[in-house]
Amino acid sequence: MRSLTEEETRTLFTKLASYTGRSLNSLITPAEDGSQSVFRLQGCRVYYVNKDIANLSVSFPRDQLLSAGTMVGKFTKTGKFRINLTALDLLAQNARYKVWIKANGVMPLLYGGSVLKAHVARFSEDCPENAGVVILDSNDVPLGFGVTARSSAQIAKLDPTSIAVHRQADAGEYLREEDTLFTT
Amino acid sequence: MAPNVGGAKGGAKGGAKGGKPTNLSSASRVSKSAKKDGPKRPPPKEQKSKPRTANENLKKKKKRVYTEKELDLPELNQITPVGVIKPKGKKKGKTFVDDAEGMMTILAMVNAEKEGQIESKMMKARQLEEIREAKRAEAEARMKEKKNKFDDVKDSIRQKKKGKGGDKAAEPTSIKDSISKPGRSKKKTVAFA
Repeated sequence: MRSLTEEETRTLFTKLASYTGRSLNSLITPAEDGSQSVFRLQGCRVYYVNKDIANLSVSFPRDQLLSAGTMVGKFTKTGKFRINLTALDLLAQNARYKVWIKANGVMPLLYGGSVLKAHVARFSEDCPENAGVVILDSNDVPLGFGVTARSSAQIAKLDPTSIAVHRQADAGEYLREEDTLFTT
Repeated sequence: MAPNVGGAKGGAKGGAKGGKPTNLSSASRVSKSAKKDGPKRPPPKEQKSKPRTANENLKKKKKRVYTEKELDLPELNQITPVGVIKPKGKKKGKTFVDDAEGMMTILAMVNAEKEGQIESKMMKARQLEEIREAKRAEAEARMKEKKNKFDDVKDSIRQKKKGKGGDKAAEPTSIKDSISKPGRSKKKTVAFA
């Protein structure tokens, strides 16, 4: 487990910043009780770990350490970063744009479908096209995240069957991708 | 005729040949060369070409090595791709960002970039929306104008009809009256006993 290089940090933050606003700072700054969490790389996967645990984790051989903390995502071979579903909690706390969906849209989303206009209950204002959004149900429970297909102004004019948000990850993956979610 | 012509030609040729025998002779060339021989040159030396096996020839001449910059190759055509080139003299290995300050600076840069992008996107979207609104308003105005024109035309036709209709309506009645007044209508009637 090692800390990220400059390039990797920039790539990671660029990706995270497309979903979160300025509150991303709170991820790095130490909490009031002095505890701090850091980003660490293990293999190609990035984990968001408590610093104390991260320091302790060096005592394990790399090939035997499976996971520590929250997995944020992984670097692809081409150097891009892919956010994993497990980072949903981090994103939901600091999300810039949010979409609330009705009860009729929850199951289609959890089965891997996109969010249609008919499913949208509420939309963050002034949301541009192709921006990252966190998808929540009517009780403010985060269900996944995705990318807007149209800007919020245009979505209002769409017909009910057209796609409003392209799904990137949803909570249904915990079951659907159970076998491969944590394999390295 | 033919022998005559041939004879004349032959005579002329013969005359010319007879007239300048000395000029074209080899003696004249000799005299010219003798005139030009004024400045003396050293006798030409025989150049000896050295055999290939000679020591000098066996030594390899240093060929000029071109740097990649001098060759002016297109970037994608080089042996090492553009992104992979590592500057010489730099230390190997990665530079980690472990301190919070470094992280913060990177985050601030990324955030600023992202905000700028979003801002520009929103601006663009707003402008497009304005343009769309303007176009819609224009189209609506045009439709309204068209409709008004159509209505006007309809009204004018109606009025014309009314005007004509009034006259026509008045005329037939008068005609009918005039016809009916004499007592017989044109319709045939059948009467049963």
